[in-house]
Amino acid sequence: MNFGIVVFPGTNCDRDCYYVIKDILNQPVRFIWHREYELKRIDCVVLPGGFSYGDYLRAGAIARFSPIMSSIREFAEKGGLVIGICNGFQILTEAGLLPGALGRNKSLRFICKYVNLIVERNDTPFTSEFKKGEIVRMPIAHNEGNYYIDDLSKVKKQVVLRYYGENPNGALDNIAGIVNEKGNVFGLMPHPERCSEKILGSEDGLRIFKSIVRSI
Amino acid sequence: MIEKVKLLYEGKAKRVYSTIEEDKLIIEFKDTATAFDGLKKAEISGKGEANCIISSKIFELLTIKGIKNHYIKRLNEREMLVKSVRIFPVEVIIRNRVAGSMAKRLGLDVGKELERPVLEFCYKSDELHDPMINEDHILALGLATEEELKTIKEMSLATNNILIDFFKRCHLELIDMKFEFGKDPQGDIYLADEISPDTCRLWELGTTTSWDKDRFRKDLGGVEEAYKEVKERVINTPIESKARILIRLKPSILDAQGSVILNALKSLGFNEVTEVRVGKLLELKIDRKIDEPERIEKMCKELLANPVMEDYEWEWIE
Repeated sequence: MNFGIVVFPGTNCDRDCYYVIKDILNQPVRFIWHREYELKRIDCVVLPGGFSYGDYLRAGAIARFSPIMSSIREFAEKGGLVIGICNGFQILTEAGLLPGALGRNKSLRFICKYVNLIVERNDTPFTSEFKKGEIVRMPIAHNEGNYYIDDLSKVKKQVVLRYYGENPNGALDNIAGIVNEKGNVFGLMPHPERCSEKILGSEDGLRIFKSIVRSI
Repeated sequence: MIEKVKLLYEGKAKRVYSTIEEDKLIIEFKDTATAFDGLKKAEISGKGEANCIISSKIFELLTIKGIKNHYIKRLNEREMLVKSVRIFPVEVIIRNRVAGSMAKRLGLDVGKELERPVLEFCYKSDELHDPMINEDHILALGLATEEELKTIKEMSLATNNILIDFFKRCHLELIDMKFEFGKDPQGDIYLADEISPDTCRLWELGTTTSWDKDRFRKDLGGVEEAYKEVKERVINTPIESKARILIRLKPSILDAQGSVILNALKSLGFNEVTEVRVGKLLELKIDRKIDEPERIEKMCKELLANPVMEDYEWEWIE
């Protein structure tokens, strides 16, 4: 399983993802600079969190024009696995690879804390290590995580993770993570790479990466 | 899409149609050219298209510069939509160098530079061959009021200054040109008709080479090419302008920032405020090559606004 972690100017969770994939899961992984065009021998593209292009205009709005994005689009169309975490999720919605948009948190505050999530689907390559309906804990850290779509019925079946108990950011229908129709592109606001070791308080995040590895 | 209803008038170079909207007309530019009071006549392929595109861009420039004119928008390569105005029966000619009838009448050398722009007026009458008249004639015959004449003169001089500069950037010298003016039911005065190589004398900058209807009048050859050349130069000379774009969250989305500001206003005693919506204002400086409002729409849709969450509106501000 070859992972590729895309690095934009302003990305800051790339090293954490690298560490989890390489050091904890012993999987081959490399960084892909956003100016590159090639996704050769990559099985899963990771769009990590951060503040690509300083979140100028809108979070994720500028990153989608990076050269690598057209290759990622092609890769996704061919069924390649793409996971966008936090800012990566924002980039995927801006690029139209996932439906909807992520607006400003209802509280107008940057929120950084652990939240409870309910796993709505375990039939995706990203969540096969979970049980359906299982409650898991992962940290969120964002200013724009307020998921919105004008017609909720369009994505009802694509919701993979929902906030459970408390809705931290005002997201519509408590949506915390969704996949595209085909199920090979996944975006989520929580940071699985920040909860992949016991010492960090939760290993639930590691199960997402493990699911990906298992899927191939 | 607005459509032609009835042919109201057919002139030498244009047809004018009514539309379903009473205050709007469609002008269609023909390829026909005439000179010397209609004695000389020919078809010049591509002339209608060139004049339509040149006029449209010049009217846009004049609008940006604050010169009221009848142009609304270009509909296609030969037709433009204009405001219906009642045309004054007076043609205005403004000259920066001696040429054409002025050279003949006064026995002056063609190309002689003038100390200041010269305004001439002609009474519009095909039977009388558009005789030259003066300001007293205009007032005494009631062709325009003193106030109207003053506005027409001011608008003519201002337009001349703007176009001398614009044509210079097209590497052309504006020798002279002809205007027609009209007024709307409110009495506001609008520059009308067209501004093209049919109504302007344009020389290659620094030479006496004509790039206008004189090529046809004087059988200089390359007539079609001249219209095309002027069209190309006009299209490729950018108009510096500014667009202002306002982006806001859709009304259906809670504007959390707006709510916080609303509360702050209320706490200061501004209880009359009932809602606050916060938006983003973008001002773009644009080198416009030709009238392409759809380009701004595209910018908004593809990047500036996120259509899932945001609405946008925009306007030209300069």
